[in-house]
Parts: sequence; C-alpha cells; structure tokens
Amino acid sequence: MATLQPTQNEEPPEVGAQAQAPAAPSQQPAQEPTEISEDHIYVALTHDHLNYQSIIDQVRSPEAGAIVVFAGTTRNNFNSLPVQHLSYTSYAPLALRTMLTICRSILTKHGLKGIAMVHRLGVVPIGEESILIAVSSPHRQAAWRAGEEALEECKAKVEVWKREEFAGEGGGVWRANRDGVVGVRVDEPRIGDGKGDEGGSGNGKNDGQR
Amino acid sequence: MSAPKPPKGHFNILYFASASSHTGKDMEALPAPLPLRKLFDTLEERYQGIRETVLDHSLVTINLSYVEMPSSEDEDGEDNAVVIQEGDEVAIIPPVSSG
Repeated sequence: MATLQPTQNEEPPEVGAQAQAPAAPSQQPAQEPTEISEDHIYVALTHDHLNYQSIIDQVRSPEAGAIVVFAGTTRNNFNSLPVQHLSYTSYAPLALRTMLTICRSILTKHGLKGIAMVHRLGVVPIGEESILIAVSSPHRQAAWRAGEEALEECKAKVEVWKREEFAGEGGGVWRANRDGVVGVRVDEPRIGDGKGDEGGSGNGKNDGQR
Repeated sequence: MSAPKPPKGHFNILYFASASSHTGKDMEALPAPLPLRKLFDTLEERYQGIRETVLDHSLVTINLSYVEMPSSEDEDGEDNAVVIQEGDEVAIIPPVSSG
C-alpha cells in the first residue's frame, strides 16, 4: 500500500494567476507508476474495475486478424470452501517490471501485433474480473497460444498476492499459485507447533506439493 | 508500494502477503549495512517463527532485483558477499498468487 503523504504543507502556493488546481500530480501519494506502455505493449495495475473495451483497444492493429482476450474472475470457493471475498496486493514497481518482461518475451516469441495485461488490486467482489490479458496477431493460432502462455507466466511470476477470506471462519489465507494448496493461514493463533494440515509449510517455492 | 526514505544508517524492508501477516507490518527500517546472509537471522530474532513460516518459502529482492540467499553458514567469500546498504529497498517475496 502506498503511504499517503499529507500534501497540504507542500507550500509555496505560487504567486501567479492560478494557484488553484495546479493539475493534480503533486497531490498523488509519492506516486510510482501504475502502468507502463511501450511499443505494442501495455501493462497496468489498478484499483478500478477492469474494462474490456480499453484493453482491446490497446492491442488493436490493422495488421491483426485476431484478438484474444482472457478474463480471470474471482471464484466463490476454493476446493469447495466458500470464499467470501478476495483481495489482491502487489509490489507494484516490481510487478509492473515483471509483467513487462513477460509481455516482451511473448510478443516476440509469437510474433504478436500487441499484448496488454492489467491486474486489479484491492478487494475484488466475487464474480468480477481480477485480470485481463489481450493479445493480437495476424492469425488466430498465435493469439490463442500467446494468451494462454501470458496468463501462465503471469500467475507464476508477477508479484501480486491474493488473499481469500472464507465465510464462516476467522481469518483468511494468502494463496500461492505454485502448488495450488491453500496458503498460509493468517489471523489465527497458531496452535501447537503452528502447523495445521493446510499447507502452512506447503505453499513454498522449495517444498512443493503435499 | 512506495516507501518513505529510510532514516540515515538504515534500509527499508518491505513485507508482502504472509510476511506482512507474520510481522504485522508492511514495512520497516532496519540498521544498515547488513550482510545479506544475516538477514534471515535478524528477522527471526525479531519475529520468532518467521523463518519456517515465511522466509524458507520466500524470495528476496534488493532494489527490485532478485538476489540469491547465501546460507548463513557461508562465512566464506566475504569479498563478494552481498551487503545490504543504507538506503536500499529490500523485499520479502512470498510465493505469488496473481490471476
């Protein structure tokens, strides 16, 4: 979470004509970028609803014969445990950098005309989009493949974390994509040796599945 | 996450996901310089159990680049050992879960 800096005391209200509304930017909390675009590539993180039309427009090209869009939506259960809601946090500057690296590599590999990846942060109500990926290519085959690969790479590497709050239980868990087990349970006193049987030590990079 | 500048003689460490839950913080400033191989010991001292619960499964970045964690017994290679410097931004990166 970016820390909000109080900006009131930012001082010297310029003497000139329009001291009012000096075009917001300095108002933003020590803002890091939340989007990066370069030739044929667009990546972003946002707390807003995701918008299909705008991501499609990011990859639209007269040289493309196909645009494939993937939408990830938030599911209401994890292994049939009811999930009340989900939220996402990120290490924004690093996540954007990783998204960009993935997109560059897939753009080249599949000869795409465009690729865009947007991930939503904060609370995402059940059934809403948490990620959109769009790719365009001259022909459909490359677009299908590239879209799938982009998503898999994103899930494996991008520094975004999902927290699921389960209905009817205190606390929630941080999911780990790597092995699909329920992640580390939080907000609960750790009982005994602190390791339940829900993968407290099983969500790691090192120790694989249970 | 943009962290305020750490105080003089400190580096910032950012905690995400389970690391944040375990420490109860998003970030803090710790004294620098600190050899990277001492980082996990330092954190374990402050947050008992964090090594097993979190750190053993996590990656570490310094200034947005992933670094390999030397084992703490690795006393060798003092010369090319990574040292966290004043002003650095270190982050604990638990297994990711985007999508």
